[in-house]
Amino acid sequence: MPQSIRPRTVTHAAVFAPLEGAGRAELVAQRLTDAIVLGILADGERLPTESLLARQFGVATVTAREALDALRRKGLVETKRGRGGGSFVTYAGAGHGRLQDERLLGLSRVQLRDLGAHYAAIAAMTAELAADRASDSDVDNLRRIVESADIVQEGAARRAQGTFRLEVSALSQSARLVREELRLQSEFGPLLWLCLRNPDYRARCRETQRGIVAAIADQDGETARRLSVLQITDAIEWLIEAKAVLETTAENTAGPTNGPKEEE
Amino acid sequence: MNALTRTSIADGIAAVGEHFNSVFLRLEHWRDATQDFLESRGGEVTRAELDALVEGLVLREFASEHGCVIGAGFVAAPGFLRDAEWHLAWWLGDRNTFGVGAAAPGVRRLDAVEDSAEENFRDYTTLEWWRVPVTTGARHITGPYVDYLCTDDYTLTLTVPVRHGRAVVGVVGADLYVEDVERALLPRLAALGTPVTLVNASGRVLLSTDVHLATGALLRLDGLAGALRGGEDTGPADTGPAVRLGDGHEVVWCPGTGLALVARPAQR
Repeated sequence: MPQSIRPRTVTHAAVFAPLEGAGRAELVAQRLTDAIVLGILADGERLPTESLLARQFGVATVTAREALDALRRKGLVETKRGRGGGSFVTYAGAGHGRLQDERLLGLSRVQLRDLGAHYAAIAAMTAELAADRASDSDVDNLRRIVESADIVQEGAARRAQGTFRLEVSALSQSARLVREELRLQSEFGPLLWLCLRNPDYRARCRETQRGIVAAIADQDGETARRLSVLQITDAIEWLIEAKAVLETTAENTAGPTNGPKEEE
Repeated sequence: MNALTRTSIADGIAAVGEHFNSVFLRLEHWRDATQDFLESRGGEVTRAELDALVEGLVLREFASEHGCVIGAGFVAAPGFLRDAEWHLAWWLGDRNTFGVGAAAPGVRRLDAVEDSAEENFRDYTTLEWWRVPVTTGARHITGPYVDYLCTDDYTLTLTVPVRHGRAVVGVVGADLYVEDVERALLPRLAALGTPVTLVNASGRVLLSTDVHLATGALLRLDGLAGALRGGEDTGPADTGPAVRLGDGHEVVWCPGTGLALVARPAQR
């Protein structure tokens, strides 16, 4: 019941959602790396303790410890002892391009397209159901979320998009769709919205959110569905294009790069 | 509407009332126990003292064999406790798989972030399960809604205000799975012999004997929103007032729940 106060934000909830499958230390490390590199977990933020992390991810404490070790080696967290101690995010954004690029280069185009297809299927149905099932006060709430988001900051814009998507899915009244949305956000959310690096995309993202809210208010499921799919297809195309540029640059210079369209 | 249908609807209202009143009675017991405790301390209570009290109350609930409550506790009014500005004493039952995947979870404390200085902290006093009972001073049912931060499922939240003197100092509450409510109530409503739909005050379907009406959808009938806006305190307490819509649908409040039964006009 205490909706929206348990984790700091809904996007935080996705970061710490339980994991399934093998290779769990890597999965824990990957998820936290994505969240740190892409600004969901802010610089200086204290991570939950090893035992709490283990509980939240549903892994053994030793697995959580391994993951934190990996993050320390990458210089993404720092552990302080004693009173007021704990593991703190030490990653200040500058130079984060390289880690984002590595993540993007690690995924194939086929994987990215497939991710887009899966996410679009979920987003389309949630939008369509939301348009049928949202009450006037639900629409007001959604509008408030869109308008109060700070899209000047890249990290904040990404968190706001995560929150928006999750709130729309909640309006579908489908617990399964909400769980699937959360799962996809925790696996790929930060990566998917990498295009929000670019201020023009941040403005465009808000325009699309406004369009989706208007469609939901009009009970126009078709438009809500179309805009939601379009937004995801756009984001995937941006990723594939960015990846192509990275691959070309890597061939030409054979060295690390900051990638395309980087704007800090 | 003939006499037979009239009786049927009364039976349906009784079934709904019984189901929710049994949970509200437990909440009111927790409220009384909390109020007595606050009284005995002159309203000066710490977080730890309150937690110990609430834990004792809700653990008994989770231990009960026929319990339908999947989360329960007390949420404090900001500034009321001596050593915590914001505070949630909330426990998750062992049938509640929130945050633990498929593992058998056991009863556990909800891990709440209560520091209002944290980024994006959202003031819970704006949320329906807090706002409505505190404003009206009366019990309230929030939902159905997908509670993605506490149950991960389709949920109803029942809350009752807790007072010290005249001031509301918090709410006690319980979460129920909509699925459990359906299992308990649908057979009884289906037995009425007339098609009925149980909706909340926003017209959202909680359950319906009409197979074409989905739980969670808004029931869109001409005049229904207006009839529901009127509120439930306008008629006799035992049966609730009936409103006849233009198309013959009858809307009857289920007293003490904020829910209404909508009956389709009798076929001739």
